[in-house]
This record gives sequence, structure tokens and C-alpha cells, in this order.
Amino acid sequence: MRSLLLQVAAVTMINIKSIPRRFWLSLSTVVSIALVVVVLLAFLAMANGFQRTLSGTGSDDIAVVLRGGSRSEINSVVLRDQVHLVEEAPGVARGPDGKPLVSAELYLTIDGIKRSSGTKANLPLRGIGPEGAAIRKDIRLIQGRMFSPGSNELVVGKAILTQFQGFELGSTVVSGSTRWTVVGIFDADGSVFDSEIWADLAVVQSLFKRLNSFQTVRLRLESPAAITALKSYVENDPRLKLDAKSEAAYYADQSSFTSDLIQKLGWPLAIAMALGALAGALNTMYSSVASRASEIATLRAIGFGGFSAFVGTIVESLMLAAVGGLIGAVVTFLLFDGLTTSTLGASFTQVVFSFKLSPALIAQGVLLALAVGAIGGLFPALRAARMPIVAGLSE
Amino acid sequence: MNDFVLIRKNLFRKKLRAVLMIVSILVAFAIFGVLASFERAFDAGEDVAHADRLVVVNKINFTQPLPVAYANRIRGIDGVAQLTHANWFGGYFQDPKNFLIVFAVDPENYMDLYSDDLDFPAEARRAFVRDRSGAMVGETLARKRGWKVGDHIPISSQIFSQKNGARTWDFTIDGIFSSRRMHVDTNFMIFQYDYFDETRSFAKDMIGWIVLRTASPSMNDQVAKAVDKMFANSSYETSTDTEKAFNKAFAAQLGNIALIVELVVGAAFATILMIVGNSMVMAVRERTREIGVLKTLGFTGARVLRLVLGESVLLALLGGIPGLLVALVVIWMMRDSLSNFVPGMTITPGIALAAVALMIGLGIVTGLVPALNAFRLRIATALGRG
Repeated sequence: MRSLLLQVAAVTMINIKSIPRRFWLSLSTVVSIALVVVVLLAFLAMANGFQRTLSGTGSDDIAVVLRGGSRSEINSVVLRDQVHLVEEAPGVARGPDGKPLVSAELYLTIDGIKRSSGTKANLPLRGIGPEGAAIRKDIRLIQGRMFSPGSNELVVGKAILTQFQGFELGSTVVSGSTRWTVVGIFDADGSVFDSEIWADLAVVQSLFKRLNSFQTVRLRLESPAAITALKSYVENDPRLKLDAKSEAAYYADQSSFTSDLIQKLGWPLAIAMALGALAGALNTMYSSVASRASEIATLRAIGFGGFSAFVGTIVESLMLAAVGGLIGAVVTFLLFDGLTTSTLGASFTQVVFSFKLSPALIAQGVLLALAVGAIGGLFPALRAARMPIVAGLSE
Repeated sequence: MNDFVLIRKNLFRKKLRAVLMIVSILVAFAIFGVLASFERAFDAGEDVAHADRLVVVNKINFTQPLPVAYANRIRGIDGVAQLTHANWFGGYFQDPKNFLIVFAVDPENYMDLYSDDLDFPAEARRAFVRDRSGAMVGETLARKRGWKVGDHIPISSQIFSQKNGARTWDFTIDGIFSSRRMHVDTNFMIFQYDYFDETRSFAKDMIGWIVLRTASPSMNDQVAKAVDKMFANSSYETSTDTEKAFNKAFAAQLGNIALIVELVVGAAFATILMIVGNSMVMAVRERTREIGVLKTLGFTGARVLRLVLGESVLLALLGGIPGLLVALVVIWMMRDSLSNFVPGMTITPGIALAAVALMIGLGIVTGLVPALNAFRLRIATALGRG
């Protein structure tokens, strides 16, 4: 046993030390595997970042009530009478003054200019009442102040500022024939609300001629479990026929389409590229075996087993792959991690998010690299193990 | 024995190596074919846009409504040749997950204006105009859902309700229309605006947007300015753009798809450049003696150079052309699932030509160093080596 291990160690060292002889070919294997990993990880980091932004939004003890069948706020319509009925629903928490913690909101789209392309993009304008900001927990004003009721004032999520032009504190935003003033910037802790613009509900209602209608009702639940009672109440009352979801569930639904799509694009591309890199790895390892044919035969002739030749080749291949995988992960981290961009979310408005790598994603990338290395080393290693001594020595 | 036979024999001397090279080139060109077609179809909105078409939307955002009366007022503007309007219905079939693209339109104007893009059979056209609760369904959508002319289909809206509270409208399919141009997809349906406006519970007399054709593209600016001026300071101000600019801005909302495609294709090509380039250098070095023999037999340096370059170009073509075929198959398989997103995705002649140019380029780049080495090789050195 000990001698077998010594054999394996010796052959592996010979393999690794001989890499410089095949420097360019080995380098091309390392780089091609690194590129595969970069492509995979960039897509996964994009999907992950988008998903984190949405799943970081919303809590379990806030419910979103929408018109039945409307899957996003932008499509929903809830009438004033229905809002009053929802206020009386079971499970709705009440404030110290006994008033239900309910916020009827409008969610409309206005144009903004995207910095990266200079083209118009859909931004969400949310009309909220005094309860609106109170119901949400993790909102902090970081500049300026809250809008005052009844005025054409806006507060803007911090992510809007980075991606779209003209929303700095104090600037005037012209939308249609209305002029708004930005009076505050808020930080919603990296959630979707960071990509929103808020204004006074009554002002938005009158400017958009929606005096009697809202789009969604948000409410604080007595406890996360109260969602069940609320759900059956708003679904079954014939005057309502509404859907209720916890805010967390609502945003999780919203993220699934886009992040699935990104992952569904990323994996096939990475696997296709991995096949190309595999062909390269096989080529490199076959050349490695061929160039060491007389060495291998010599070792066999002096009593080394075929197994050590097999392991030595596999280890060489795995090493090249691991180096490639790690380089790929580092390059992705340097180039893409934290990169901020925006895309259309399920509500047909821009969602700003950042690419986010995680240890689990890096592990997936390195595993793919090692898979290429293992398969790329396996067949050449078998050839090395089976090489007849005479054939090897005669070359 | 001509040079081609020599090239072929050289290439496949080490069969396994040749096959591995071909596979890696094939993969790179399959990726190129799929992604280039994807990008092309994604940006097609700009190419299919007609130069003389303008889109009028609410200045706040295109999802905000406009009064239907605007259609007639704009029709009177000098330079407007044709005009129609449309409304987003937010449709779905049975389950909100089965999202459908449905527009409420002014039937005759709509079919006239889009007759360059879409083929509405004359008989179906007549039936649709007369049938208040009729619908015309695009060929792609009809095929996906298995719908036929005469079928009654219940279509629900995520947004609108009928006055009686129902969220579903029943339509009869009066006809099926098909596409006249590449990248114009028919994965949508249309029905009568009048019927819609009469039955829905809110937003009466409002429409989504107006599309118009100008008498000539040179009048675009003048007409766009006249439209926007007409409604300036009203409670529904307008923003008028060319169809091309509108489509471009719409595509840009999703993100910089072109950049993503370029980066991935770039990575795929960098991989094969390295792998194939190195292997070619190695393959030619192994043949140093033979090249010496060829030169002794009277092959000129230029002819040897051509032989090596021919080998690398042949290799690139042998990998690249099947790669494009693989891309065609993949695109064909993805067609239905992507038709909402990128209609009419296909390898255009332009993409195929670019691919062949890339193959030849790849062949020359990867063959250049070994070809020059072979060109310069002196017989004495060659035969002395090894």
C-alpha cells in the first residue's frame, strides 16, 4: 500500500513538473476553463442579485391585496368601497388609536431617462398616504425630508439616483404637464422600494384622474399566520373578489420569472462552452500522455504500476481545471460582483439590482471546472495506464 | 495527388486531435449562431419599424391612457396619411399564468395600417369588421393554443372588468392572420375597441396609444411636433416618436442585451483561438521532417504556407458549418418558448455570412504562425532535426 502511494506521489510530481514543457497548451486549457466559469458565474450572479433584491423586499406580516387575477400591482384595480371593506377584514392589525393599519396605494408608471442608454424607461410612481411609510419598516430618509401632504413633492429611492437622470435632491421632475420637486431621498435597504418614487396619494389620484380607485391595499397583519383568514375573506366576499398575499410571497413570485430566465440562459451557455473547453482539455491531456510516453514506459519497466500513471494524469488535469476554475471565480468577482444595473421587473417597471456572487455560486463554478478536468483527464489517463511498455519505449 | 488531398490527409493524421478541434470549433459557432440570432431578433423592433410610422403615447409614460377623441383630431393634421389606435387588454386564458398578448383595436384602420406587415385574409377581414364580439388571432398564437376559425374563446383580463363584474370576455374567432415579414410575429390577437369600450367598467373613451403613417418620412418631424403641440398644456399631453425610436427605447428597458451577447461570444471565440492555435503549432512542428521532404521535392515555401493555411481553414469550416446547423436546430427547438420575447428568431443570411467570414478568419489566424514557420523552414534544419 505504502509503495503504491509513493509511486502515485512520484508520478504525480513528474507530471506536474513537466507542465512547463507543455506551457502554452496547458495555459490554453486553464484559460478556456476560466472563461467557462466566468460566463456561468456572471449569469448566476446576475440572477442571484436580482432575486436578492426582490426577496429582500417585503415582510411576512404585511399583506398586499390585489384585484383577483392581477399578478402585479401595475394591473390591479381596487375601488374605494372595497378598501373600506378590507379595513374591516379579520387579521388586520390596529394602531394605538384603534385605526386599522391599512394603506391604499396607487402604483403608476412614469418616464425616466436611463443613464446607461439615454433612452426612456418605466419608473414606478407610488402614491401613498400617511400610513404608507409607517407600515413599511426598513425605510430611512437619508437626505431631505418626507413630502408634505397635498403638494407636488417627491421622495425618491436611492437606486433611482444611480441609474436614472435628474432625480437629485431639489431637482424639478417634469412628467406630462406636472412639475414635481424632489424633497427627499430614502434608503430601503437594497429592496425594490429603492427603485421607486413616492408622492402623496391624494395628489397622484387627482393628477392621474383616479379619484375613486386605488391599485393595491397594503396592511399590517396581526401576525404572519393571519394571512389565511384575510385571504379567505377577500376571496370569498362577492363585493371583493380580491387576492391577498404576504408581501414577501408577492415579491418572491415577482422574482421567479426573471431570475429563472437568467439562470436558464446561463447554464446552457456555460455547459456548451464547457464542452468546447473539454475538447481542449482532452487534447492537452492526450498530448501530455504522448509526450511522456517513454517516461511512462520506463517507469513501468522498472516496476511502477499502471495505476500510478492513471492517477498522475488525472491529477494533472484536475489541477489545471482547479486553477482555471479559481481564476474564473476571481475574475468574475473583480469584474462583475457589485455591478449595478436595471431591468424591467414583473410590474413592467425598472428594478435596480446588483450582481452578487456567493460562496454557493462559486462552488458551482468550481465544480463545473472540476467536472471538465475529471472527464478531460479520464480517457488520457486510461490510455497512460494501459500503454504497452514496448510501444512506449520504441517511440 | 493534388494539394487538397494533402491538406485533408494532414488534418486527419491524428484523428482524435482533429475531432476534438472540430468539436470545440463546433460549440463556439453553435453559440455564435444562437446568440447572434437572438440579438438580431431582439433588436428587430428597430429594423421592422417603418420609416414613415409614428407612435403617439401619453407624455407621462406609454402605459398611461389617451382620450379616444385624439385619434380624430390627429387625423386632421397635415401630413397624416393613415392612423389607428390600440389598447392593451392584459389578457390571459383561463389561468393568469397563461398570459396572452391581446389588443382592443379599431378594426378597419388597424388592418389597413398593418397590411404591410400582416396578412389578413379578405373574407376574414369582412367577417371581423361586422362581428362586434369577434376576434382575429395571429397564426403563431392559434397554433400554440390549437384554435381554429369559428372557435369561441373566453379571454380574461388582468386589468379590466365588465360592467356586470365579470373579468372574462367571450370572443368568436373570425379569422387567422399571418406574418408577411421576418421578425414580425403573430403571437397575439385583436378584437373590436367599440365592443371593449362599451362593456368595460372603467376608463371609458380612453385608448392606449395611436400609430400613424405620415405621407412621407420627411414629414415625420413636422407631424410629430404638430401632434405634441396640439395637446400641449392639456391634461393628456402626448409624446410622438418614430416607431423605430419607440421600439429601440422599449428594447433598451430590458438591459444591454447586445453587450451580454458580445461578451459571451467573445469568451467562446477566445477559447477556440487558444485551443486551435496551439494545436496547429504543435501539429506542424511534429511534421517538421516532412515539410523538409516536401521542400526537397521542390515544393516552394509559398506552397507549403498555403498547405498549412488550407489545413487550418478547412478545420475551421469543418467545425463551424456543422456548428451553425446545430444552432439552427437549437433555435428551432426554442422557437415557441421564446416567441413572446424574441419573435422570429432565425439565422439570417447576414449572420450566416458573418459566421463563414469568422471561420475563414479563425482558420487564417490559427494557421498563420505555423504556416510562417513552415514557410521559413530551411531544408537542412528540417531534416537535421529529430
